[in-house]
Amino acid sequence: MRATPQRAGRRFGVRVTAGAAVLALGTLAACSGGGSGKSHGAVVMWHGYTDAEAKAITQLGQEWNAAHPDQKVDVTFGGSNDDALKKTLASFVSGKAPGVAYEFGSSITTLAKRNQTQDLTSLVKSTPSFQWNDFFPAARQGATTPDGKIYGVPALVDNLALVYNKKLFDAAGLSYPTPNWTWDDFRNAGRKLSAPSQHRYGWAYVNDGTEDTVWRYVAMLWQAGGDLLTPDGKKAAFDSPAGLAAMQLLHDMAVTDHSVYLDTGDGQYQNLFNSGKIGMLWTGPWDLSGINKDISYGAQFLPGKVNHATIAGPDNYMLFNKGDRDTAWAFVQWLDSAQTHLKFALATGDLPLRQSETQLPGYQDFLKRYPANKVFVDNLSKNATKSRPNIPEYPKISQAIGLAVQAVLLGKTQPQAALDQARQQVDQILAGA
Amino acid sequence: MVLIAVFGLVPVVWSLLLSFQQTDLTSAGTWSGAANYQQMVHDPVFWQAARQTLLYCVLFVPITMALAVPIAVLLNQKVRGMTFYRMAVFAPLVTSTVATGVIFSWLFNPQIGLVNAGLDKLGLPQQGFFQSTGEALPAVVAMTVWGWLGFAVIIYLSALQNVPRELMEAAELDGCGRVKAFRKVELPLLAPASSFLLVWLTINALQLFDEVYVTTKGGPLHASTVLVYYLYQQAFVNFNGGYAAAIGCALFVVILIVTAIQLWLGRRTSHYEAG
Repeated sequence: MRATPQRAGRRFGVRVTAGAAVLALGTLAACSGGGSGKSHGAVVMWHGYTDAEAKAITQLGQEWNAAHPDQKVDVTFGGSNDDALKKTLASFVSGKAPGVAYEFGSSITTLAKRNQTQDLTSLVKSTPSFQWNDFFPAARQGATTPDGKIYGVPALVDNLALVYNKKLFDAAGLSYPTPNWTWDDFRNAGRKLSAPSQHRYGWAYVNDGTEDTVWRYVAMLWQAGGDLLTPDGKKAAFDSPAGLAAMQLLHDMAVTDHSVYLDTGDGQYQNLFNSGKIGMLWTGPWDLSGINKDISYGAQFLPGKVNHATIAGPDNYMLFNKGDRDTAWAFVQWLDSAQTHLKFALATGDLPLRQSETQLPGYQDFLKRYPANKVFVDNLSKNATKSRPNIPEYPKISQAIGLAVQAVLLGKTQPQAALDQARQQVDQILAGA
Repeated sequence: MVLIAVFGLVPVVWSLLLSFQQTDLTSAGTWSGAANYQQMVHDPVFWQAARQTLLYCVLFVPITMALAVPIAVLLNQKVRGMTFYRMAVFAPLVTSTVATGVIFSWLFNPQIGLVNAGLDKLGLPQQGFFQSTGEALPAVVAMTVWGWLGFAVIIYLSALQNVPRELMEAAELDGCGRVKAFRKVELPLLAPASSFLLVWLTINALQLFDEVYVTTKGGPLHASTVLVYYLYQQAFVNFNGGYAAAIGCALFVVILIVTAIQLWLGRRTSHYEAG
């Protein structure tokens, strides 16, 4: 992920759309050789890693095979993670599904409906040594559907933090963001950092109406103490004082202050950050490798209102094929053990998945190698407590909210009116209309 | 024939069947009669997309054709380096849509784009382009005209080169000026090329998708959502396979009707075909 920012850059946003894109072709066309099933008796594992991550996962596969000659796995590149869902569904049709595959978190609702997908709930519950509760909450939530069933084990867990350009803060005479920064501090800094005549902006917001637009708003909604849906998941709950406060902040910054660069979704914000034209980003670890060496930057928790909630983008390893299950389960247990995963994290810069990883001596090396990641790891234990609902309706809900946020950012609709409209749409979606 | 059946006919029939079902495309669907079509008639976004598709056609097709004629005439001269000029006009057509989209997103970037910088230098107001609800569709028109112009020029150029030299010489002998000769001789002879382009460009315009996908994603606020993009959204974002198929069928009928009308008109007005 790190090595290919464009893949990660718009992680979740892309996932919801492109990840599912040519899905129909795969399932309807019933041809697609693609699969490999078992090769030489080894359980096949598909991943979409490239560069450092590909190297690391291959190495781990070899390590496992050396120690478990009777439970071999065949770790292979299954094509980009963006296409994982499509390929997996196609493999169901061809009857050659992999034993394990890397899947985006958003794919879980689609895959959970399929017979080939292994329900891991009882395995997880009956294996205390797996220490399920040791995983960060966001990672656990990402692998669980609303009915409490576990359909995967965590493969990656990212989140958003505030990344800022120190030089611009110095030049504006501002002190650096603190963990206790309020929305007012944030808005204020945004205003002082921006200089429209020089095309300089305090903040950047991805405004293409996709999930990339939505998830930052959702983080703000949580920060104000609100939530997307009612606890029973039957109705919209974001049309609340908290939801309004979040919309109002977007309106105030984008429309009143003009301190926000609105990115059309082409990721231009990163180039602008690199040229010192944008002071602050709300972004994840995947963007850090794309920041130029000559930019001195810091990372901090997101600003807050009631709390400093962030939003996580968890991905999973999911198991298919009943016949492969024993070996696959043994392998992912080992892969997700604190020792093994920390090795992977060290090689790749991926965040730890488990709290206990941060207690291991190797974690200090991790921080030395990826100093800015500390904030993101701390975020996982402190601020990434909520997650987006893993329900099949989510992509539609996301669209409705995306339109509302877009309308507010462009100054086309007042915050309350935008919320009203989105609430109506979401209620309709949830009612199955 | 088998290939045509497999890759042409089967999907057409299949999507017709799908349009009477509720299906998420990954599992078996259920029959729902005309429900999808009923939904379509009452869907404001569908009508907005339909209006915008039409508006796009009405802008894109005439502008492309009107610009292509003079350029084709210019490229029909005997000048040094003509191959280069022809290549230059043709190049956008063979440029990948994604590359075009990325470049136009940069050019049209409201905050840091070259076009706005140029407007600024000229003292003209700044524009929102892809980020403005009023300008997103026109910006897509500008981008696609640029991309398709080369194609229209090639068609006109080949038509011009088929104009018999004797005709032009005869016109000159009869005392026609260059401009008049063009109007009275060449232009009427371009009619078949025009009617071909009209049909071809219109069909392509009705099926606009890539350019929207790589630049505006149908936005902002649906302002550049055209039918095929809406279909894509319904099928592969919302997993409303049946509804998407219904939109596809509606579009199919529209294209069929428009093409039939155009061909009929073309046959009536073309001076060339009767011969």
